[in-house]
Amino acid sequence: MTTPDFALRGVRHEYRTGGAALTGIQLEILPGEHVAVVGANGSGKSTLLKLLDGLVFPTAGEVVAFGKPLTEEALEDPAYRRDFRARVGFVFQDADVQLFCSDVRDELAFGPLQLGLTRDEVERLVADVAAHLRIDRLLDRPPYTLSGGEKKRVAIAAVIAMHPRVLLLDEPTNALDPRSQVWLLDVLDEWKHEGRTVVMATHDLSAAAEAADRIVVLSEEHAVVADGTPQEVLTQRDLLLSVNLIHEHTHRHASTAHRHAHAHGAGADPLAMHPHEHAHGARGGES
Amino acid sequence: MSAPCPCCEVEVAPVRRRGRGRSLARRTADSLARSITDVLENEEIAARPGLLQRIDPRIKLITLLLFAVTVSLVHSLWVLLALIALTCVFAALSRVGVAAFARKVWLSAGLLAFLIAVPSALAWFTPGEAAFTLGPLTFTEPGLLGVATLVARVAAAAGFALLVVWTMRWSDLLRALSALRMPDVVVATLGMAQKQILTLLRTVEQIHLARESRTLTLGTTKENRDWVTERMAFVLRKSMKTADDVYDAMLARGYTGSMPSLRRLRVGAADWAWLATSVTICAVTLAASRMAGA
Repeated sequence: MTTPDFALRGVRHEYRTGGAALTGIQLEILPGEHVAVVGANGSGKSTLLKLLDGLVFPTAGEVVAFGKPLTEEALEDPAYRRDFRARVGFVFQDADVQLFCSDVRDELAFGPLQLGLTRDEVERLVADVAAHLRIDRLLDRPPYTLSGGEKKRVAIAAVIAMHPRVLLLDEPTNALDPRSQVWLLDVLDEWKHEGRTVVMATHDLSAAAEAADRIVVLSEEHAVVADGTPQEVLTQRDLLLSVNLIHEHTHRHASTAHRHAHAHGAGADPLAMHPHEHAHGARGGES
Repeated sequence: MSAPCPCCEVEVAPVRRRGRGRSLARRTADSLARSITDVLENEEIAARPGLLQRIDPRIKLITLLLFAVTVSLVHSLWVLLALIALTCVFAALSRVGVAAFARKVWLSAGLLAFLIAVPSALAWFTPGEAAFTLGPLTFTEPGLLGVATLVARVAAAAGFALLVVWTMRWSDLLRALSALRMPDVVVATLGMAQKQILTLLRTVEQIHLARESRTLTLGTTKENRDWVTERMAFVLRKSMKTADDVYDAMLARGYTGSMPSLRRLRVGAADWAWLATSVTICAVTLAASRMAGA
């Protein structure tokens, strides 16, 4: 039987100020799976990712990573910490938070140098990753001079430079322009073929439908309420309405009132992912 | 309307003209935009192919220290004025706008030093032959000479410091500090502080612009003061959360307490030549100062 990359057993997490961020979480993430954790704002998606990365720890229950309990004590062991950090990469929602070095080159080199690779190895690695993600021309720029899309690319490159087996992405399509979103979906597809595990927290249902082969839904009560394939989950209209991922939308076509479910995100139609142009106007037709 | 910065394509809000009758929000937002523009312009100046830009950051820092010590040991006003002229020559050779450079030095350091020192020129503090009187205030010649010497010294030192900051990218400055054995934690803190200050400046600018867009009147002083105080608290809370998040991001990438860099600094013939020239200039300056004082 395959050992899951992560197993969460009865996990509950409370904020320092009190109040549950997550409750009763039972979840297994298998190697190579691409899992989208979807839920409304404040449902606990980011906290779940931080639990998986050992940045916060459960108030109750346990998180097991690669067959071993992931605890604060375990991460105090340098060998375990090095092994775990090398295996798991975390791309934060706010790229500004993640880019803390003085220029992009050092940003990409930070993780590999922390892992103890030699300078020559890291230089080669940085050049390869920068070329692969098409950010070579940014290498000497300070991160604060980059645009939002460029920052996101650099944040992803900085994590990829560590060659993690598992990638945790927090709202990866947030604040990305359409071209950068397509680029990101291509990168996710590439990771799928490379067999990397991806867990992404998002409320962008179209990105979840496109990039994940499994969707976990968190309710506004911070519990898992659905877990299945995109087809199984995203066709449950009542469920998506109840967890505040879609809402009822009424508009008129000529003299006829028209009511349907409406999702917000990069693409509005989560299960109809095909290239198309969408226009609203006098002759807008079906939406 | 926003305009892209010429050096890095980052959009910065345009700086509007100063003037009365503008709201607190607008004035503050403009001031913040100016600060952001200054930081981005520094990067652009540091990338120009000038004299000081070609010097190794470590050598440049060492020579700055040398010039600063020299300036503090010089007592002759004329020699100090010569050093000020030298900073302008270096600025010109480094493709830094001399007018902007002089304005920055004199309006910040020079003016501040003058305001602090000018009371010492009064006959009450420095006796001597009266130079002129302003009502009950009498300024003496030795007092004015002392003020002029102090202001010139501050301006010369500020000029050398400004040249180093303007002709060196912030990342290179940090690297130079690290190479000169500054503790990692200090260098990392300096690096993150500069980035966070810039990020928070943008946030505060947005806050003020958002208020401006929803404000119809200038508001009373009290209202403005209350609002600014509340927003300061908000930014403080936000900065604390950001600091936590940045630390989490560092841990997630295996942070073990050191901030290694991939850059390798190399000292070439031009750097040694610059060092030798600087040492010579400092020695000549000190000799000239001694002769002038003799």
